[in-house]
Amino acid sequence: MGLEQYAVNTLVELAPVFATFYLVALGHSLFEKAGLLDLAIDGVFFMGSSIAVRAAVASGSPVVGTVVTAIAVMFLGIALAFLMTSLPISHGAIGLSMMFLGYGIGIIVGYPARLEVGSIAMYAYSEGESMAIMAISIAIGVAVHIILKYTKLGASIRACGENPHAAASLGVNVLLTRLIAGAAGFAIMGAGSSFFTLAWQKFWDPKSYTLGYGWLAFTVALTSGRHPMILVPISLIFGGLTFYRVKIGVMYGVEKDVANLVPFIAALIAMLVCYATKLKNILAPPTSLGKVYYREERTV
Amino acid sequence: MRFIVVRRTKPHPYIKPLIIALSLITGMGLVAILLTLIGAHPFAILVTIAYSFTTPQVVKDMLLLTMLGCALLISFKGAVWNVGAEGQLYTAIIPIVWITLYVAPWSAGSPPHQPILIILASITAAAVFGAMWGAVAGALRAYVGIDEVPVTLIMNYVAYYVVNILVLGPFRGRYVYGYIRTDDLPDAYKLGINVVMQRTGNAFLDGFLEFIRVVVYYAYWVLAAALVALLTWVVFNHTTIGLRIKILGSNPEFLRAVGVDVRKTTVMALALSGLLVGVASAIYYLGDLTRLTYPIQAQTAGYGYLAILVVWLSMLELPLIPLSAYIVSSLRNAGRNMQIFGLGGLESTLVLLGSVLLTYSALRFLTEYEVRVVK
Repeated sequence: MGLEQYAVNTLVELAPVFATFYLVALGHSLFEKAGLLDLAIDGVFFMGSSIAVRAAVASGSPVVGTVVTAIAVMFLGIALAFLMTSLPISHGAIGLSMMFLGYGIGIIVGYPARLEVGSIAMYAYSEGESMAIMAISIAIGVAVHIILKYTKLGASIRACGENPHAAASLGVNVLLTRLIAGAAGFAIMGAGSSFFTLAWQKFWDPKSYTLGYGWLAFTVALTSGRHPMILVPISLIFGGLTFYRVKIGVMYGVEKDVANLVPFIAALIAMLVCYATKLKNILAPPTSLGKVYYREERTV
Repeated sequence: MRFIVVRRTKPHPYIKPLIIALSLITGMGLVAILLTLIGAHPFAILVTIAYSFTTPQVVKDMLLLTMLGCALLISFKGAVWNVGAEGQLYTAIIPIVWITLYVAPWSAGSPPHQPILIILASITAAAVFGAMWGAVAGALRAYVGIDEVPVTLIMNYVAYYVVNILVLGPFRGRYVYGYIRTDDLPDAYKLGINVVMQRTGNAFLDGFLEFIRVVVYYAYWVLAAALVALLTWVVFNHTTIGLRIKILGSNPEFLRAVGVDVRKTTVMALALSGLLVGVASAIYYLGDLTRLTYPIQAQTAGYGYLAILVVWLSMLELPLIPLSAYIVSSLRNAGRNMQIFGLGGLESTLVLLGSVLLTYSALRFLTEYEVRVVK
């Protein structure tokens, strides 16, 4: 096998893993760009992957699974954005609560599908569709980048993340902007999480909520400064690390749990590198991320 | 007509218990609705939940969660969100396994005072390990500026896999019948007082006696929970570090202005929190768990995560921690009972916890604000 063929095969293998991490991290980044802290990511990731399985099994089509997941998770994003913007409540507490709820709902939604069909392989995307999934994911990323950088909506989203009070005084409708960011961000996260079960793993297990891949996607977003384009290489690195850890482990005689540990240690090191170096200034989070948005003029 | 949110001019006298009650009702309601949708009977679900508040099984969980709740309160008061108690709980067990099975294993010829020394050494070592594990996240937050929430959460997974590696490798037991787990803790080191009680045939009396038996069995836990709560109270009310942690949570700028090292205070908050998690971990291992089974992430009861719910439900008030721990233990017990009675599985516990937490988090602002309707 030539080097070229090897590279193509590797890319095909990695495409679903990349799409999963990339889209989940991208949606999460878009949500956080608007100043909304997203600690629900791991629960939403598992819930989305479960909804995808249920919808794909019910309809017989993985595409329907992805679309239904994106729509369902989108509504959740809208609800969270509404709560976090219109009420003076802790983003962290709401997010972590949603994480637990997401795990529970994920099991409730996914379990009947597993009982019904056993294996979901025949409802999953084929290997031939992997590159298309990767291309669509990158296209979505480019679109998000263009919107964030070159449009009025993008400027509003960034303004809401940096200083929502100043943005409001300049005429930005903070609630509406955050609702849009919440809807779009979570829809993208939903689509990404659907690829976890329908393109990458091709099976669903209720215990997979303990894997912590949502937190790896969180780290991907954090270490790439929530930038849609920087997310591409970082997602590839983390995707590769997660996907090949067992293979590498087998090749070098490393225990499975040592291999499982690697992405999490890498996540901590990546965070350390980003925050301890000058990269911190480039990849800094939005200034108002997670801060309660409360306008005193509401007081009567 | 529209709703507006305004700051309260004076606190509402009943708002805190109201929010807690509403959160519980919402959580139970949501579980009942979801499980009814998948075929369970709503009345049976609600009866099971109510029954779970009265069974002796809540005693153990309540005591452990009281200890863990106090531990997390120390960091939460300082607005340092230690969500890594789960990892600290298991890393703190590592030195106990090493001490009890390899450094000083019990044998017939061991001196009679050895169990006391080993138990004390185990608790101390667990506290140190818990503190160190917590301090890592504290240092990363204080000196590098990385948010402690993702760090402590990711460190939970690191802890799981580190423990797994040890259970598969150096800690793998010799008397485990093919299972991948550590050897059982020697009986001499186990914390528990066994009392045999005769059944009377009267269901109410037997139930009460069972409660007594369980409380007596966990007498050491009662003592430990009381000591941990007392220690937490002392830290907050009679120590400089406790005062600094409280100010860190409300006005860190003030701390800086008066020349206090905020970074050190942050590290101390997480280290102290981890230290108490370590103590709770030792009591849990010596009194109930007694061995580690592979893979730990599939075996864990998730007490580290439940403790977050305990401390939130208590509204960060120390006197409310035991009550909050009782409620959370009963809810966990309810999830388990629903599983036993075929009404649901793990999902019911998670939905119950998630919806109670979510409602509580969404309504907590009402302690400081009120919602008014204006035309």
